[in-house]
Amino acid sequence: MGKFRLGRSENVYAWLFLAPALTLLAIFMVYPILWSLWMSFQTGKGVNTQFGGLANIYRLTQDPVFLRALTNTLIFLIIQVPIMIVLAILAAVALNDPKLRGRAFFRTAIFLPCVTSLVAYSVLFKSMFATDGVVNDTLMWLHIISSPIPWLAQPFWAKCLIIIAITWRWTGYNMIFFLAALQNIDRSIYEAARIDGVPAWARFVYLTVPMLKPVILFTTVISTIGTLQLFDEVNNITASGGVGGAPADSTLTLSLYIYNLTFRFMPSLGYAATVSYVIVVLVALLTALQFFVARERK
Amino acid sequence: MNRFAALSRTTMFGLMTGASLLAASAAMAEEITVWCWDPNFNGATMKEAAARYTAMHPDVTFNIVDFAKADMEQKLQAQLTSGTTEGLPDIVLVEDYGAQKYLQSFPGAFEPLTDKVDYSGFAPYKVELATLDGQTYSLPFDSGVTGLFYRTDILAEAGYKAEDLQDITWEQFIEIAKVVKEKTGHPMLGIDLNDAGAIRILLQSAGSWYFNADGTANLAGNPVFKASLETYAKLLQTPEIYKPVSGWADYTGGFTSGEVASVFTGVWMTGTIKAANMSGQWGVAPLPKLSGVEGATHASNLGGSSWYVLASSEEKATAVDFLAEVWGKDADFYQKILVDNGAVGSLLAARDGDAYKASDEYFGGQAVWQNFSDWLGAIPPVNYGLFTNEVDAAVAAQLPGLAAGGSVDDAIAAIDAQVQQQIQ
Repeated sequence: MGKFRLGRSENVYAWLFLAPALTLLAIFMVYPILWSLWMSFQTGKGVNTQFGGLANIYRLTQDPVFLRALTNTLIFLIIQVPIMIVLAILAAVALNDPKLRGRAFFRTAIFLPCVTSLVAYSVLFKSMFATDGVVNDTLMWLHIISSPIPWLAQPFWAKCLIIIAITWRWTGYNMIFFLAALQNIDRSIYEAARIDGVPAWARFVYLTVPMLKPVILFTTVISTIGTLQLFDEVNNITASGGVGGAPADSTLTLSLYIYNLTFRFMPSLGYAATVSYVIVVLVALLTALQFFVARERK
Repeated sequence: MNRFAALSRTTMFGLMTGASLLAASAAMAEEITVWCWDPNFNGATMKEAAARYTAMHPDVTFNIVDFAKADMEQKLQAQLTSGTTEGLPDIVLVEDYGAQKYLQSFPGAFEPLTDKVDYSGFAPYKVELATLDGQTYSLPFDSGVTGLFYRTDILAEAGYKAEDLQDITWEQFIEIAKVVKEKTGHPMLGIDLNDAGAIRILLQSAGSWYFNADGTANLAGNPVFKASLETYAKLLQTPEIYKPVSGWADYTGGFTSGEVASVFTGVWMTGTIKAANMSGQWGVAPLPKLSGVEGATHASNLGGSSWYVLASSEEKATAVDFLAEVWGKDADFYQKILVDNGAVGSLLAARDGDAYKASDEYFGGQAVWQNFSDWLGAIPPVNYGLFTNEVDAAVAAQLPGLAAGGSVDDAIAAIDAQVQQQIQ
């Protein structure tokens, strides 16, 4: 920058080239975001709305269902994201070992869940984890359990099921980032460590993990955002009679609550917009926190 | 249709008369799209009505689409919320609980039928449900008058006759169910803990509802609501008498497969029960009664729905004419759907027909329709209000706790707290 100044005409051409993309961005990104912010101050039924000031924010503080949805979402986040990231790192390190036979097969197998449709796999999981589904049958046949686990009927097990499902779906996706990062680590570092007699576990903890830090940060941030927006699974796997979040709202997430407020309950578009801004604020706060925790200490 | 007409005016002007005749006849062929949710019930009755109308008007065809009920409702609401009318059907079925929600949330979305249909011929409560600011929007369809459908053969094996199920309370019902389970191994009911429909049945059987007439919540301090939850909790805490089910297919599969011995629900379930091909093995008894509640009856209602015409429909005139001609007048049509599908319509003239007096072989020669007709007259009227889905969600959230032995008072407090926040 600053070596030479763009002439006025180049400037105009640059903006002209950018204009189509910027216009689309303005129409489909900026406008909806601003409009939903405006909507979050509206109250009323359906399309009959009026300006309500901070009424929706007050309603948020009084709403036990919102609190339940928020709690469930945070539980999924706190338990699922670390499990998935650790599994993804372990899988990546294992698959990065050149001595492992059938690496390509395992890599594909672990990544494959990511290419399946969210709804398709949810429907499949729902049938697999039914009371008399294949999972319970197998566990009973192996004598691991004596009576079927009520995966879909009990709040605790329903939460476990959702965590199992999203871990299955997304571990491979995160693993790919770690695999790519591992390829970039200089082999000579490990060689030096081996010559110095550093055992394998210590090489993993003190060499691999620190060098993967930027990628761990990245995958944690995108997984956090993804989990905060969790919708398809809880609207399909733990749905009963077309209503998601069952049983007893134990898998109700913020995104599903927004959906219910808009499409199932008396449509409160303004309040639904307010809840969606809660997700925005949470994503911003958690991302900032993660960047802060992972900052370089000089 | 308008586009077609414009086309024939501008581009086809001056062409051969044959060509414009073709265009005209193409424009005449109309297709009415209908959304509904039960192929054994409202879908089947709509097919029958469509066939009758097509016989009179061969150029009108029907496209009857059936979804899962919740899917259809959410799809409709999503479409109406979006503000685009493309993709909406011409006629849609709306459950009575949700009627006012749609009418008040989406003004102008539905076509008023006040001048097109003679509402004096319909049950007044159904007309009332679809009336807003002096305009009535629905062609009233079925009543959800409830009864206890039961397997006569299984009950007989346990030593019970039809008389033993007359005028009983829920406590007596539970005792009978225990004996049935013990002697035959069949669970008496299939229960879905995510479904609050049973609470609605119990509430209305004693003339109460989730809301007061002014729309405020009627939960905390409502003795009928408390009695309904206590009664249902007693059922839930007797796990040997019911099979836990999840979702509609699982629920109906329980009794159509022959495993579950009874179901208490709306008369519209008849179609599903008859589709199971167990002729002569079923009977119908009055709904058990809440004990110790003032005004408790053996009659209640679950669901019930009506047909609405979308104001955006391009075939609006034909759709309205179809509803008014077949659904609004044809008493013979109502006789047929009563016997075939268990559709107890709200056209009063149809009740004088022979079918209502006939006995039904599927139900062992019992005069079931006369029974339902009598119970229909005894249903305590209530105002459904706007927020049934919200309260249902709050109630369903407490059912697993009640099944596990939780306190009814705590459940009521939690439901009330949740509902107070949701109904604004």
